[in-house]
Amino acid sequence: MSGQSTRRPGELAFICLLVLFSAAALWQAYSISGFTGLSQPGVFPMLAAATMLVSCCFILRDTLRTRSSREPGHRAAFWRDVLPVRLLVMLAMVGIYLYAMPWLGFVIASGLFLFACFAYLWRKSFLISLILAATSLAAVYFLFRIVFEVVLPQGTLLPAGVF
Amino acid sequence: MLEAFANFGLSWLDPWLLMLTAAGTLAGIYVGAIPGLSVTMATSILISFTFKWPVNDALALIAGVFVGGVYGGSRTAILLNIPGAPSAIATAIEGYPMAKRGEAGDAIGLTTVMSVVGGFVGIAALAMFAPVISSFALMFNSRDYLLLGLIGILLVGTLSGESFAKGAFAGALGVLIGMVGLDPMTAEGRFTFGTISLMGGIPYVAAMIGFFGVAEALVQLQTLDVPAIKQRIDRVIPRIADIKRYFWLAIRASGIGTIIGALPGTGGDIAALLAYDDARRSVKDPEVPFGEGAKEGLVAPEAANNAAVGGAFIPMLTLGIPGDAVTAVIIGALFIHGLKPGPLMLVETPHLFWFTVGNLALANIFLLIFGLTGIRIFTKIVECPKAILIPLIIVLSAVGTYAIENNPVHIYWMLLFGVVGYFLKTYGFQVGPIILGVILGPMMDSNYRRAMIGARGDIGEFFWNFVSHPISLILSICFVLMIVSQTPLWSRLLKAVRIKRP
Repeated sequence: MSGQSTRRPGELAFICLLVLFSAAALWQAYSISGFTGLSQPGVFPMLAAATMLVSCCFILRDTLRTRSSREPGHRAAFWRDVLPVRLLVMLAMVGIYLYAMPWLGFVIASGLFLFACFAYLWRKSFLISLILAATSLAAVYFLFRIVFEVVLPQGTLLPAGVF
Repeated sequence: MLEAFANFGLSWLDPWLLMLTAAGTLAGIYVGAIPGLSVTMATSILISFTFKWPVNDALALIAGVFVGGVYGGSRTAILLNIPGAPSAIATAIEGYPMAKRGEAGDAIGLTTVMSVVGGFVGIAALAMFAPVISSFALMFNSRDYLLLGLIGILLVGTLSGESFAKGAFAGALGVLIGMVGLDPMTAEGRFTFGTISLMGGIPYVAAMIGFFGVAEALVQLQTLDVPAIKQRIDRVIPRIADIKRYFWLAIRASGIGTIIGALPGTGGDIAALLAYDDARRSVKDPEVPFGEGAKEGLVAPEAANNAAVGGAFIPMLTLGIPGDAVTAVIIGALFIHGLKPGPLMLVETPHLFWFTVGNLALANIFLLIFGLTGIRIFTKIVECPKAILIPLIIVLSAVGTYAIENNPVHIYWMLLFGVVGYFLKTYGFQVGPIILGVILGPMMDSNYRRAMIGARGDIGEFFWNFVSHPISLILSICFVLMIVSQTPLWSRLLKAVRIKRP
């Protein structure tokens, strides 16, 4: 059914994870109300989780049928195509950014994040990245805080009202 | 009637609404055109910013973005051979060869005019058929809504994904996400693991922004270094002869687009491909062969995908079933504004219906204006490097998620969905069905239980009801056919029929 003939790197492991997740979801759904009645709150979640599990088994079957690339570069391909260094660095930066936001506040955290990303992804000069980060932050702040009147996260580090 | 007309013209006369619609359409064109930004992404982020606004203002902006965005994808398809949105894939096949011949301006002008024609056909259909369908839908039972929800999710899953199983998985995952929290009927916790923060459920805006914003931004990281190609554009206003010549083709394609758009679960992407396919079969002697820059192949998909906008609003406003991912997000917006899309919407809030129709028509007029002007600035903005775009998308996603309830926990949900969405996309899953599942899941759950209670908990009677009522029977047959057509049984059946009739 699936059109592809070769397996993407890491695909089998991911599908196995999905099977496990579906099974766990089914078990959790069962523990809501069990089989006590057909209009109980747990019935529909169980149906959804069962659908996930069944379709996952079909996906697993299809994936097992595809040709796995057993070449020596298989592991390297996973890190190149699915989780390249650039993505990992970006994810780390996003993680730190979102983790630091309640502490630093939206304006400082976003400014630092934008600057770090521009510097890392664009690789122009330090000054250009800085100016770009400042302008885009000002634009975002103006548009959302002033025009849309959105409440932006405040930091606990600075006294309230500063940013 | 007079009242309907007054509501229709509301956004045409109010300068503020006029401005919002214009701004929305213009922004939509750019969002749709810039590869890496999608209309769904923009609408889901916009919802979180506009939920405090009066409902008319929010709807005006969102309608503009939708109309502009569906069209915008065609521009990058023509100029860069990168469809800005999936609905412009067919446009790229014919438009890019035209651009290479130096006819980019011609192609853009023609697509603009034909998109507007398509848009108006879709809106006319919305205005004419929605009231009819809505009064018909009042006869719908909870069973029928359950079936409509299932059909909608399955259609999105089967038509857009890599395989049926992956579509079904994505839809069911969405339903499961939608189930988290306190059960609306018995207030029993579902998947809450005893924590208070999960009792309110997983905010669907966080899921939308995560799957459509963050996940998409992460996928775009892979193509950071693809350079843009520059094109020369001279004349944009299309020739009258061309418009006359392709007008009926555009009307025909618009008809296809409206119908496909109106089917729950199918949107502009599929409408455009089907209309392109239809044009390729029905046009006997194109000036230039298809695939090498035939104008027929440009007109059909563009008219169809804009007609699908009006079409997609039909099931959304009359049944509460979204026509595609964008309308799924718009339904979320209506819920946030305290509206209940469904058969009662036209009865209870007819002014909003006519306002939406008038607004879409207005957005189409702005589309014509903006579509034929400002091409030079446009080419500059579209070349904006992704290195700048991706961090900005992430910042906007974070603000958008936070803005809904000012809850920082939602931002972490968004990140989690973004990462999960990245892996799902990488391995050939579609995220559209997930969002449809999240939105439709709770509706399907309560309708299922109402139907089951109606059958007094007797499973035999429950299933008997599906075949003993005419509307339910038709929907059940559609549902079963959809599933059977995806199994090996179907191809065997077809083979058997063919052997009998040589």
